[in-house]
Amino acid sequence: MEQAEPKIVAFLCNWCAYAGADLAGVSRLQHPSNMRTVRVMCSGRIDPLFVVQALKSGCDGVLVAG
Amino acid sequence: MTQKLLKIAGIGENRLHVAWLSSAEAQRFVDISTDVINSIKAQGRFDAAMFSMELTAVEDTLKTEILRWMIGKEIKLLSKGDVYGRKWEKDRFESILDSVLEREYHKQLIRQAILAGFTSVRAISQKVGLELKRISYLLADMEKTNMIEFKGHTECIPVFAAL
Repeated sequence: MEQAEPKIVAFLCNWCAYAGADLAGVSRLQHPSNMRTVRVMCSGRIDPLFVVQALKSGCDGVLVAG
Repeated sequence: MTQKLLKIAGIGENRLHVAWLSSAEAQRFVDISTDVINSIKAQGRFDAAMFSMELTAVEDTLKTEILRWMIGKEIKLLSKGDVYGRKWEKDRFESILDSVLEREYHKQLIRQAILAGFTSVRAISQKVGLELKRISYLLADMEKTNMIEFKGHTECIPVFAAL
């Protein structure tokens, strides 16, 4: 198996997790850069089908944070 | 529920992580994202092509009316009760949801197998790795709900087609 970095899709709620991620960036906290962020207006917007779609499109993991 | 389904499908529940945090918790976000990335790294790359049949079955399962209905009714069943006024225990609801999940997933998996050209019970069993008895039982159920149809016999083997 190739040892490439894993690709992770992160669905972030605009008001909670996205703001948290933004703050992490502003305060220059170091963290790995494997996340591909999708900002949603609320984590209630996430349909389980999005998760399946993400896995189908070739990412290795999904994070839903609200 | 999606995690349970991924587990049943053999994809692994830990491909999906769910976390809650507030906007002020930058450090917590960093911790969570590091945890998630480490967990996914430990599991290695995900080969979507290898699991394409399972993924499609998971997708179709998530679209089914009965699951959407059960999830939508959960709070009402647990707090107010059903149409007969009976309140449901959380454990009971969970166990029924689990069995529905498994049944619906297996049905969708069988449908995918039939679409892929495995049309007899024995061929489906070899493809999806379920018991013959379970497949026959589910096929009868699927026939009733118009998911598949009975196509007749070839050399005394019943053949099915997906609708």
